[in-house]
Formats: sequence, C-alpha cells, structure tokens
Amino acid sequence: MTTRTKETVLFTALGVPMVTCLLVFLWIVFVLSTGIGTLRWDLLTTSVLQGGIFEMIVGTVYLLLGAAGIAGPIGVLAAIYLVEYAPHGKLTRTIDQAINNLAGVPSIVIGLFGYTFFCRQLGLGISLAAGWLTLTLMMLPIVIRGTEEAIKMVPSAFKEAALALGTTKWKAISSMTVSSAAPGIITSVVLGMARVAGETAAILFTSCVLVTRGLPKSPFEPVMALAYNLFVQIVALGELPEKVFGVALVLFFIVIFFATAAIVLRIYYRRRQPWLR
Amino acid sequence: MAEVDIRKINVWFRTNHVLKDLSLRIKENAITAIMGPSGCGKTTLIRAINRMNEIISGSRTTGELYIDGINVYDENTNVYELRRKVGMVFQKPNPFPKSIFENVAFGLKIHKIANGKEIDEIVENSLKEAALWEEIKDRLNDSAFGLSGGQQQRLCIARALAVKPEIVLMDEPCSALDPTATAKIEALIRELSEKYTVIIVTHNLQQAARVSDFTAFLYMGQLVEYGDTKSVFENPKSELTEKYITGEFG
Amino acid sequence: MDFLNFPTCTRRVQVPKLMLKVRNPQKMLHFFKSLKEEPIEAILFLCAFFSIIILFLMLFFIAKEGSQAFSTFGLDLIIGQRWETNENLFGAFPLIYGSIMVVAGALAIAIPWGVVTAIFIAEVLPFSIRDFIKSLIELLASIPSIIYGFIGVIYLAPQVASLFGISFGTVALTASLILAIMSVPTIIGVSGEIISAVPKEYKEAALALGATKWQTIKSVVIPIAKSGILASVMLGFGRAIGETVAVLMVAGNTAVMPTPPWNFLSPVYPLTAVIAMQMGEAAVGSLEYSALFGLGLILFILTFIVNTLADVIVKREPKIRGGKK
Repeated sequence: MTTRTKETVLFTALGVPMVTCLLVFLWIVFVLSTGIGTLRWDLLTTSVLQGGIFEMIVGTVYLLLGAAGIAGPIGVLAAIYLVEYAPHGKLTRTIDQAINNLAGVPSIVIGLFGYTFFCRQLGLGISLAAGWLTLTLMMLPIVIRGTEEAIKMVPSAFKEAALALGTTKWKAISSMTVSSAAPGIITSVVLGMARVAGETAAILFTSCVLVTRGLPKSPFEPVMALAYNLFVQIVALGELPEKVFGVALVLFFIVIFFATAAIVLRIYYRRRQPWLR
Repeated sequence: MAEVDIRKINVWFRTNHVLKDLSLRIKENAITAIMGPSGCGKTTLIRAINRMNEIISGSRTTGELYIDGINVYDENTNVYELRRKVGMVFQKPNPFPKSIFENVAFGLKIHKIANGKEIDEIVENSLKEAALWEEIKDRLNDSAFGLSGGQQQRLCIARALAVKPEIVLMDEPCSALDPTATAKIEALIRELSEKYTVIIVTHNLQQAARVSDFTAFLYMGQLVEYGDTKSVFENPKSELTEKYITGEFG
Repeated sequence: MDFLNFPTCTRRVQVPKLMLKVRNPQKMLHFFKSLKEEPIEAILFLCAFFSIIILFLMLFFIAKEGSQAFSTFGLDLIIGQRWETNENLFGAFPLIYGSIMVVAGALAIAIPWGVVTAIFIAEVLPFSIRDFIKSLIELLASIPSIIYGFIGVIYLAPQVASLFGISFGTVALTASLILAIMSVPTIIGVSGEIISAVPKEYKEAALALGATKWQTIKSVVIPIAKSGILASVMLGFGRAIGETVAVLMVAGNTAVMPTPPWNFLSPVYPLTAVIAMQMGEAAVGSLEYSALFGLGLILFILTFIVNTLADVIVKREPKIRGGKK
C-alpha cells in the first residue's frame, strides 16, 4: 500500500499551487474589502461636480452598451458564417487565425489604432462613438468564439428537420439554430462586457476625459469612465484619496457582476437544454 | 493461469444496479466467453475482475472475487499488481501515441520489471506471442498509428502480455475489425489459452461458439446459464438462453 | 463579370484590388453562384472577413504614424539605448528590455504554477468541486488589470519595499509578481482544456496495465498534452507582454537599464507603459508621437508572431489521435 500513500503525498503536494490560486483570490478580496467603508450610496448617485461618481458609472455603462450593440450583431453574423457557411479552405483558416490574432493584440495597441483611425482619420475626435468602435474590436473575438461554440452545440438535426420541410438554409439557421444557440450567445456577450467594463488602455485616449459637465448629449462627445478616472487619479495625479478606493470598488463590482452573470447563465442554460452534454 | 472465483458480486453505477449477486467460477487455462444482449453487464463483469470499474466515479462494488484464492476486493490488495496480473484488451484498439516498441515496453517500465537488454528481449517475445513480430520487426520505432486496425489490436495484446499476466480479459476485441483481422485474432486467442486464462466478452454468437471452451450467458445483470460451450449452444438448460441463441431477441 | 467563364487550370485571376492566384477556379465560381442564391451569405461573409480587414487597417495606420520615427532613427529606434523625450532621442532598447525582463520574471513563476494547477484540476480534483474551482479561476481572470494595478500599488509595492529595504516598491519584481498572478488564469484555462481533451482510452489502457494515476499522468497524459501546454505558454507570453495598466502602476517607469541586468529591484519602463504614459502629452505629428506608434508597431508585430506560432503549434498536433487507418 506504500504506492497508494506515495500517491496521496504526491497529489497533496501537487495541489499546493491550486490552493495558492484560491489564497490569491481571497487576498484580493481582502485588500479590496479594507476600503469598503468609502462606499456610500450617495457617492454613486451624486454628480462628480459635487464629489460623487455618478457620471463615471453612467459613462462606463454607455460604453459597454454601445460596444455590445455593435460587436454583438457583427460577431454573431460572423460566427454563423464560420460555422454554417464557410467552406474548408485557406480563406476560412485565415479568417480563423485573424480572429485569434485580433484577440491577442495588446489593448494599448488597439487604443493607438482607435485614436489614429477612429478619432483622427474618421474625425470622431475623443468621443463616446470612438470608444464604442475601439471597444468593439476588443469584444468581437469573444462574441465570435462564444457564438461559434454555442452554434456548434446545437444538434444539426434541428436544422436538418427545418431544411427537410423546404425552408432556405438561412431561414433554417435563423429560426432554429440561432434561437437554440441564443443562451450561449447571450452568455458570450455578457462575458465580452465583463472584459470591456474594466478596460482602461483602449479608452485612454479614444473616448475619455477626466471631467465632463453632465452626461454626454451625443455620441460625439467625450465621456467619463470608472476605469479611466481611477487610472488618471492614481497615475497622473498621484493621489490616493478615499474616493479613489470607492471608484475601484464600484468598478470591481460591476466587472464581477458581469463575470458571475456569465457563469450563472451558462449553468442555468445547460440545465434547461437537455441536449447539451 | 489462474482460476477466477466470482462470489456474489454486485456493481452499482450511482443508482443503476448493473450486476446483481453474480457468482461464477472461471476455469483456468481455458477460453470462457461471456455473452448476452446489450446492456446486460458483460463489460462491467470483466472490469470487475481487474477492478477497472473503480475509475468511474459513482461506482460501487460489493461481494468477493478470488483469483488464486486471494480476494482482490480485500482492503490490502495492491490493485496495481492486480492489474499487472490481469491483462486487458479493449474493444477499440488503443495503442499509445508512441512507437511500437514503446507501447510494448510501457508496462515493463511502469512496474520496473526489466532493464535495458531484458526489455528488448521481452518486447520481442511478446510481439511473437501476439503473432505480430514478423510483420513489424524492422519498424519497431515507427509510430503505432501506422499499423492497420488488426495489427494495432495485436499490438495491444502484446502490450498486455509483456508484463506476464495470468489472466487476459478481452472486451469484444474484434468488433472494430474486418473479418480477416478477426480470424487472425481468433486464432491467436486459441494459442493464448495454452498459457493464460482467457475471458472474452462477445456480442457475436458465432464467435462465442467458434472460439470458446466455456460460455456464460448474462441477462440484465444476472447469470442465466454457464457451462461448456457445446452444451450451452446445443442443449441450453434455460429457455431464455435458447431464445437468445435462436435470435428471438438480442 | 467575364472572369466567371475561365477554364479549369491555374490562372491569374484579377479580383478587385488584389491579385489572387486561384488554384481552383471552380471553387470561386461556386462561391459566387451561392452568393446569388442567398445574398445574405455575402453579409455574413463580410462580418467574418471584417477581422482580416481590421488587422490590415491596424498594421497600416500604426505603421504610417510610426514611419516618421523609423525614418529618423532607423534601427536605432529598437536598439538605441537612450530614451530621452526632452532631447527628442528615442532608443527603445531599455524599454524592450524592461518588458522582456518583467515578462520573463512573471512567466518563470506563472508557468509552473499554472501548469501544475491545470493538471491538478483536470486529473486529480473530484468532479463535484471541479466546476466550482474552474469558475473561481475564471473570476480571477476577469478582474480588470487596473484593479490588479490598484492592489499592486497600495499593498504589494509597499511590502516589497519593506521586505528588501528599498525606498519605493515600484520595481521590476513587483511588476513581475502582479503579472504572474494575472497570467496564471490564462495558462490554467488553456492547459486545462488541452489536458482534459486527452482521450480517456489512453488513460484506461495505462491503468489497465497497472499504472498508478501519477504514472498515467506522467507517461501518457502529459506527453500527449505537451504541445497544447506549449501553446498555452505562448499565449500567456503574448498576454503578458501586452499588459499595460497593471505593470504601469508598479514598474517604476524609469527608462534605465537595470544594473546588473538581472536586478529585479530596479525600476523599469515596459513598452506598454511608455505608450500609455506619454501619449497624453505627445503632440500629434511630433517625433515623440511617431516614436510611440513605432513602439506600438513593435508590440503589434511581436504579439502577432507569438499568436500565430501558438496557432500553428495547436493545429499541428491533432488533439484526438486517430487509431485506425
């Protein structure tokens, strides 16, 4: 039985790194919780001009929704093409690789591109719209990959049944496949929003300013955002006032909310769809 | 060569009661076929012999199983040594993604049975025993995936034989192979029974009749009939057995 | 549209703006035919093709803005040892070295940590808690870099400072530590997927021969998963070198070469940090502006190569090794 005990010891040792991961998570939560005292409800609802962070929160939400509104449709359509229409060939493989490469571009480089292309070339200036387009680039690979997976998991029998009844390919896909894959698609969009909510480098010089007078009235105005503000206050202004902790916490909660929502959605839909493994 | 004495074995997979109070004495140095319709528990039964059911989470086994007088389900049994003594060949050939030589030598290295030159000798002998040596002797270092299905299965047999087992379990070893390969393996099985106790699960009635000395018929997790093959096929004692053999159900 | 009527041999076909050598003209014919049947396919195709267009646009525009710096400094932009904005001197070597140093330090910690955790989760952890742990790690991965930077500044940097007796904890070591924590979930995620994808027939074969669980993992699972793990490491490298905000907040941001070169207690100025810090002040069209885009180009090309390599590695090794001929 010494082999058994040797194995137990080995596997316990092997488990140390994983336990460290959990400890790190706890550590992060602990460090953040030390500042929980700075969070007050009125902080969230008061305008920045009066010491609150309201516009930052709204600005972040505006950015999120806009990016999702663009990346969502494009990403889903692209994924449908890749799974249902694309022929096996060099072009398809290249598109596939391009998506992987896009996912791997550093966010600051995307920010640089966003500035020179969206802000200057297309004349959008530092604006909400430019932020949407830039953040779309970051969200797109996530939505495409997630939608691809969701579509692949729908049994082709559904689509084939529709086709056998005489509908066109697109009709079969849009009526059967997409609606069955909808949960997975929603999950991937939510995941994308989690990614983008905390994004700083991409919005650094494409859409944000430190203070605005009220909320932007058009997409062509700049916007305030939690991540941007946090960054500038700490790095450029070099201060650590209590308010900054509050900003960090609100941002943290928003991101964790979306990330947890994605996980919960995934579990919930897996239960509701019996054909998933 | 060893006798397997199965006594009141019950196997559950979570709530599914697969083997029910099964008792069976398997003769040594003979070929015993286990047959029955899908889902009757044939695979579970042979996997109970080398305790391979345990790797499936949610499995539970009660009862006793004696090999050469020792209960393998006893707490003190070394399950790794048990699995060396009881070799297994799977339904779909599963050679490792390594060379032919490395496949056969795998078990030797795991159990630290041999070193250096000895390994070469044992590998050669095992491949000869599995009737594969002549075909591949000059490409021992080639990948195992370059072999045909039948050759891969014989490689898996050689791999199991290399560690000098006493019992060889075969789970529908020919179901994934073409008739020529099947014939070769059936011939091989007959040769193997001279040195080893062979237990073969088969879905194929004709194969059971062709190859085995003894046959056990399982239905819904219970042993229905067991005896020498000729009697079971020509004079089945149970009506159920007769129905199965004549093809009334399957 | 005359080119639809060409013979079936290799011909140079003129397609708007690009010269494509079409190996199989029949395929293209079929493609355009199907477009006529379902015009929606064209829209779908464009959405998919969009990624390629964007990458090209990126390459073009970043190179365009960086061209001034490259024509002024040539190769010196990359190997020049001095980065002095005030003197309009832009040699990025200390910056590149800083990036690589921080990433190397981070990976040295994150790779063993991540791979071992992935093995543990995939092979040792019982089913019931596996999903929970994986979700937890996914949450770790979603924490934005600014939060990691925030924690690094208020907690880690002071700890490093007091531990090593230096005045400020914003040094390469702190950056490497934070980056390691950020890279681990990526490595765990991708490695874990690869390891779980190892077909269970091989594990069963090994166990049936009497191998212990560890022997199975060591001699069967890991060799099969090797290339996938390598790909995950490359992806981790790509992510790490592109990380901006977190390292910016803790690396010290001084464009010096650490002395001696392995001194992790020296501040460094990674590429990404430079861009983020100086873009705000650089006048559009100035040399500084162009130099920053030059750095962006370097980053773009570097991560492009790394990601393509990772892709190639994964595609070369079929995950499920076929057994039959």
